Amino acid sequence: MVKTKKLKDGSRQVILNGKQYDIITKVLSELATKTKASAILFADMSGQLISQRGNTENMNTTVLSALAASDFAATSEMAKLVGEEAKFKLLFHEGDKRNVYLSNVGDDFFLVVVFDVSVTLGLIRIYTKKAIEDLATALEENSDDDDQDTQIIDSDFSTLLGDALDDTFK
Amino acid sequence: MFINWALQEINLKIVYYGPGMSGKTTNLEYIHSKLDPSLKGDLVSLKTKEDRTIFFDFMQIEVGRIKGKKPKFNLYTVPGQVYYASSRKVILNGVDGIVFVADSQPHRMEANIETLLDLESNLKQDDNTLEKFPWVIQYNKRDLPGTESIDVLQKRLNFFNVPYFDGIAVRGDGVFNTLKSVINSVVQNVQNQL
Repeated sequence: MVKTKKLKDGSRQVILNGKQYDIITKVLSELATKTKASAILFADMSGQLISQRGNTENMNTTVLSALAASDFAATSEMAKLVGEEAKFKLLFHEGDKRNVYLSNVGDDFFLVVVFDVSVTLGLIRIYTKKAIEDLATALEENSDDDDQDTQIIDSDFSTLLGDALDDTFK
Repeated sequence: MFINWALQEINLKIVYYGPGMSGKTTNLEYIHSKLDPSLKGDLVSLKTKEDRTIFFDFMQIEVGRIKGKKPKFNLYTVPGQVYYASSRKVILNGVDGIVFVADSQPHRMEANIETLLDLESNLKQDDNTLEKFPWVIQYNKRDLPGTESIDVLQKRLNFFNVPYFDGIAVRGDGVFNTLKSVINSVVQNVQNQL
């Protein structure tokens, strides 16, 4: 299971381990191969890009993830306004050359598939559905390196980060 | 906070909140204009044709590796106007730290208070509260004539005694100090929980 901790101040900490990341990346690679999608992103609902596959060199995937998360957020508000009680599960944007298919993976993550209009939507739907199941399973996997995070942010880290910020913001 | 062990990345989400026209986008624009291109991504602004933020501004900044880890900061602004309330709420999803950009002009005091209450009510829906959450205040537009004194602003807005800064965001005054402080508050908080 992806570790999600609620900190005392109310903020949320999500920790993805190496094994989960490997499985996610593998699922995305398979999906890219099968669908011939131009790009596939996996991100969390706060807009954080987790993994990407396909031809993404000329695509600003960090920004794409942030926008896609907002897309979900905006449409879930839309859902409420039109009387849909659940969130919309999938979003589809149709262009002249490219289409974008977005689907949620559980409540906290989503998948973005960018594909050429020559690829049929049905094909994308079928393979994406399978990928989502695999991703959901991967995210449920128990993590075995639970203690790794306890050491991550110590006073040493804070001091070094402070210095790095001073340096960056000169 | 999102930690990706495979990539050794630590991602923080910082949201600039405040009433309309208080200078949230200006803060981001200044940061973007001053940082080394290798440490920043594009600044994306979803604006109306009148140049008002309709949804949010976004940019990601980095500071290199620290103890082998790569911290990344995702900076967002929210639209200030009252009628974009639901946009503000959704952008707070997964937020780690907040910069409240207050407008120092006396006639904007009510707008500052109203937005702060709106922030508190949005945080509460996610079981957070301003009392415990890491946030800082920037009293912006200090260069304008007739601004409210810091004493008055403090009394009316800073009821949890969080760090505060004078700002003239168009010139960059206080911009980096504010950002540094909110990042520091977030990191300090995480550290205290372990």
